[in-house]
Amino acid sequence: MSTATRGGAERAATLLPVLRRVLLTRGPLLLFAALLLYLSLASSAFLSMANLLSSLTQAAPIAIVSFGLAAVVMGGGDDVVAGGIDLSIPAAAALATAVVSDQLTNQGAGVIWAFTLAVLAALIVGALNVLLVTVVGLTSILSTLAMYATVVGVIRVYTGNRRITVDDPTMLFIRDARPLGIPMPVWVMFAAALAFWLLLHRSAFGMRLQAVGGNQEAAATSGIRPRPYIAASFLIAGVAAAVAALALVARGSGSSPGIDERLLVDMVLATFVGAAFSRRNIVTVPGAMLGAILVALMSNGLILIRVDNSWIDGFKGVLILIVVAAAALQNRRRT
Amino acid sequence: MTTTDTATSFNLGAWVAKYAFVAAFAGLFAFFSLRTTTFLSTSNLMNVLEGSMILLFVALAMTLVVSSGGIDLSVGIALDFGAWFVLIAMLEFDLAWPLALIVALLGGALVGALNAFLIVGLGVTPFLATLGTFFIGRSAQQIGTGGGGNVSFRGAPEGFQSLARGDTLGIPNALIIGAVVLAVFYVVLQRSTHGTRIHAMGLQDPAARVAGLRTRRYRALVYVLSGATASIGGILLSSGLRLYTPQAGFAYLLDAIAAVFIGASMHPRTRPNVPGTLVGVLFLGVLGNGLDLLGLDFNVKAALRGGILVLALALAFLVSKHSAASPASGE
Amino acid sequence: MPRTSSGPEPVLEMTGIDKAFPGVQALDGAQLSILPGEVHGLVGENGAGKSTIIKILAGVYERDAGSILIGGSPLEDLTSQAVHELGVRFVHQELHLVPHLTVAESVFMGHELSRSGLLRRREMRRRAERFLSERLGAELDGEALIRDLGSAERKLVQVARALVDEGARLVVFDEPTAPLASGEIDRVFAAVERLRDQGVACLYVSHYLAEITRLCDRVTVFRNGTDVGSLAQLDEHSHREMIRLMVGRELGQLFPERSSEPGEVVLAASGLGDDGAFSEVDLEVRRGEIVGVAGILGSGREELIDALAGLRRIRSGRLELVGRRARLRSPADALDRGLALVPRDRRNDGLVLAMSAADNVNLATLSEIARTGWILRDAADQQARRMVDQLDIRPAAVDRPARLFSGGNQQKMVLARWLAADVDVLLFDEPTVGVDIGAKAEIYQRMAEVAERGAGLLVASNDTSELLGICDRIIVMVRGRIAGVVQRGEVELDALIALVTGGDAAGDAVGAGRHAEDAAEIGEQDR
Repeated sequence: MSTATRGGAERAATLLPVLRRVLLTRGPLLLFAALLLYLSLASSAFLSMANLLSSLTQAAPIAIVSFGLAAVVMGGGDDVVAGGIDLSIPAAAALATAVVSDQLTNQGAGVIWAFTLAVLAALIVGALNVLLVTVVGLTSILSTLAMYATVVGVIRVYTGNRRITVDDPTMLFIRDARPLGIPMPVWVMFAAALAFWLLLHRSAFGMRLQAVGGNQEAAATSGIRPRPYIAASFLIAGVAAAVAALALVARGSGSSPGIDERLLVDMVLATFVGAAFSRRNIVTVPGAMLGAILVALMSNGLILIRVDNSWIDGFKGVLILIVVAAAALQNRRRT
Repeated sequence: MTTTDTATSFNLGAWVAKYAFVAAFAGLFAFFSLRTTTFLSTSNLMNVLEGSMILLFVALAMTLVVSSGGIDLSVGIALDFGAWFVLIAMLEFDLAWPLALIVALLGGALVGALNAFLIVGLGVTPFLATLGTFFIGRSAQQIGTGGGGNVSFRGAPEGFQSLARGDTLGIPNALIIGAVVLAVFYVVLQRSTHGTRIHAMGLQDPAARVAGLRTRRYRALVYVLSGATASIGGILLSSGLRLYTPQAGFAYLLDAIAAVFIGASMHPRTRPNVPGTLVGVLFLGVLGNGLDLLGLDFNVKAALRGGILVLALALAFLVSKHSAASPASGE
Repeated sequence: MPRTSSGPEPVLEMTGIDKAFPGVQALDGAQLSILPGEVHGLVGENGAGKSTIIKILAGVYERDAGSILIGGSPLEDLTSQAVHELGVRFVHQELHLVPHLTVAESVFMGHELSRSGLLRRREMRRRAERFLSERLGAELDGEALIRDLGSAERKLVQVARALVDEGARLVVFDEPTAPLASGEIDRVFAAVERLRDQGVACLYVSHYLAEITRLCDRVTVFRNGTDVGSLAQLDEHSHREMIRLMVGRELGQLFPERSSEPGEVVLAASGLGDDGAFSEVDLEVRRGEIVGVAGILGSGREELIDALAGLRRIRSGRLELVGRRARLRSPADALDRGLALVPRDRRNDGLVLAMSAADNVNLATLSEIARTGWILRDAADQQARRMVDQLDIRPAAVDRPARLFSGGNQQKMVLARWLAADVDVLLFDEPTVGVDIGAKAEIYQRMAEVAERGAGLLVASNDTSELLGICDRIIVMVRGRIAGVVQRGEVELDALIALVTGGDAAGDAVGAGRHAEDAAEIGEQDR
């Protein structure tokens, strides 16, 4: 039912509705805050510089792929069945990582060349997504899920499902350098955050992308053709995957099987938790970065208090649900 | 029912779409027949048919959910729970195997119930809700098996084993079960009052609500049934292998979605439908089998499979888009 | 190409426009000519070709024949871009706004202000606020989110977006006031008049003839795909003429004669309230009665109907349906008790557009045409055909998807569904919005028949004269409470309007009575 004229009636502001609203909109954040509080109390090491820096470093690849996901969600809209999602980004990132590692270690190539190839590979994945979604007309869950599986298959063939260790000096530098005491990968994350923020939130392109995602018909009547923007969002996701590879290679000193899986959970969690940080409750770049940092802090924290790996995954699953349920309940109240 | 959406009455455009995809299917068939010696044999084709049954259950579950306007990313988990619970019930609780079957179905229904709670109770979108269930279910399996170990039951009762491996009157039991479930789904989804209501919900939920349909109830039931149906696949899996491997179900998720969408592309209004899903399932069965027989390296096979799948989906959708009758202009 | 008058060159001249779709000739030699700086009305029944010709102008459809000149320059291939560059702007019926964008972002959508790629957000905000304030008289916060705005404000944002890039010579308004309540229409009128003062021509497409009369300098009437007449210097007498041209005949009585003996009480509400929109509502509907609910924006009228239909929680009070206490949590609960809703937004909430007419009509009675769940094709078909016949739904193609039927026929389809379900209480929310005058009369007739057959009707509407015409009794809501109950024959239209608008500015009264002149001119009306 149309809600436009419904909001007119003033509601008496009592404590309970206000509390409820706050709980729903910022609930997930409060939960995270509570969790972090608990962790800092339960483990003396949690608040240590070492842990914080390590968490930031781990957050880097999560954040960067989340920027890519954010772009696709912005352009495709919130309705995940009909709208935008890109589940193939972690696979593309893993592919890029494998390409870089293989080039550096096995082919003796230089860093620039290795990364150029990696970007190309990630862009090809993005382009295939574009093809499937805009030309063929598959829904994005289906296309990107299919791409995920395919790319993982390709990676397996490419690497023989084995680890590739990298000891290229540039990579090691990126892994170990600490300008101003902060690890290089974190700087990469900040730089990427800035770039994506400018692109998606401060440029005309970004605003139009939001319009396309928010209401395709509306965008079209303003003279904005949705297709190029949706296409661009998948390519941006590809670029994000390639940049994430930089952090992944550095962090892991190479490429190993299975990076994509862990990244998938964390990426989804970070991106959607991030929406709770924005005034408009939509997926954003700064939100995704904060989300990634929270996720990493939580993962590390749980390990510090010796929670078993199997539980951590479940924990994250529950968290995703809580975040998402809060958002849904809040939407419901509004309509 | 004079329905234009749920009945299987095809117009010219849909016939072309159907045959175009079927032609591609036939092409694949021919290719495998020529390149391997064993593909075309009766026993191999029977194998394909039998082997497709597990996917069929998962795909039927997905058909139901997608018809209602949602998606279920946790079907693999439901399958796993079915496969797991049926063995545990016999091994640890000493239940007779028919009772164990019920426990397994309840396990699948449990997964569905969680989805139902999230989606109907809390209003979470189906994608995220079932994704969450997927993560939780995955973790639960890890924890429950103490880190991911298999559960094996070599000495499972004959009756139980015969579900997947035995036959009745010459027809493999798996096929019988599959045919029965297929028929039930067809009747419910495309010939019954419930099916019409579910389709109405999936097409335009607000209108369905105002028309007095109990959308919340139906939606909850849909997800519970989806879980239960997927768990039948799990039961069959455990029956055949006498073994449960955690997260074996994940492999079926993508295939199930693919089968449903391939099937939908064969429908005049691109709606999910039971016969189409069956075709999709068989296609995937043939594909997997053929690639196996070609004796390729495991990794290459996985990559090829993914690639062909994507191509098949693309073809199915492209053709259905171009051959769909363009509607006359509205007012 | 012939001109309609010698004098200033028309800003838009469309001549001899033909357009055919499979099975129907939508436009047949249609003509439309608009002079610079005038407000030109365009009226016609649904299916007359108004929206088709607008879509041709917008570049959505391609014409089969005819010529189009904008500002004297002929256009062969009309693209929306070309038309835009020549100064034509469109304010569509659908808002086309993105809920999570701000006012400023929405106003500048498509022509953002940026410097070396980056948005100049502060500047956009400033300019948007200023434009809205100075040109349209609206004080809005540029950073406000669209989803937090009311419908009139959203409409104004849409208008601002269409015009902010300046260079507009002709603005096409397509049913701009349809979703608005009486109190909000003035803002749109003011905007249109301001544009005229600035020398911008406006093409005003509307069903509301009173608005046309008030605003327009000239009006063109369409019927059966072509223009059938043009009127200038509009006054009250023009109404009759417009309607005659639109319908092609004298329209008899708009509202049917009614005399029924009210039967048992089928809906009884006492002390009904929700969480803030309305409270202390007492209400009674008997079989055979048609009770109206009047109220402007903020009166709680819409929320009350939603609550009675099961779409909104009732927090206090007691509701009885057909003598039994009812606690409604969904429309399904309401239906169980014999109450159904014909909703206002029929395309979204009324019909499943992709399903066939038959499916829609049978949707509430599926169990009755099935045996243990298995649908009996013949029974289903029979029921569908019978209802289509009974309500004269055209075309009588039961297998056709609902979305291909006109607004009036779609409304009849919804009604058919409830008739098949034999409900005791029928709620109507804005039953004739977006329906042309011929179909309106038909709908009123059906409503009377339904009441005659024993149902109790509750009709909520923005249109006070409609309520006066069809209802036995009208309940007036003001600011969430019942301000009065009025019997048919007891009150004159203007007094009722005064009550509805809470005795506020006379300007609202014009809006609320916007159909008054139509009805009065057309025929007798029970007073």
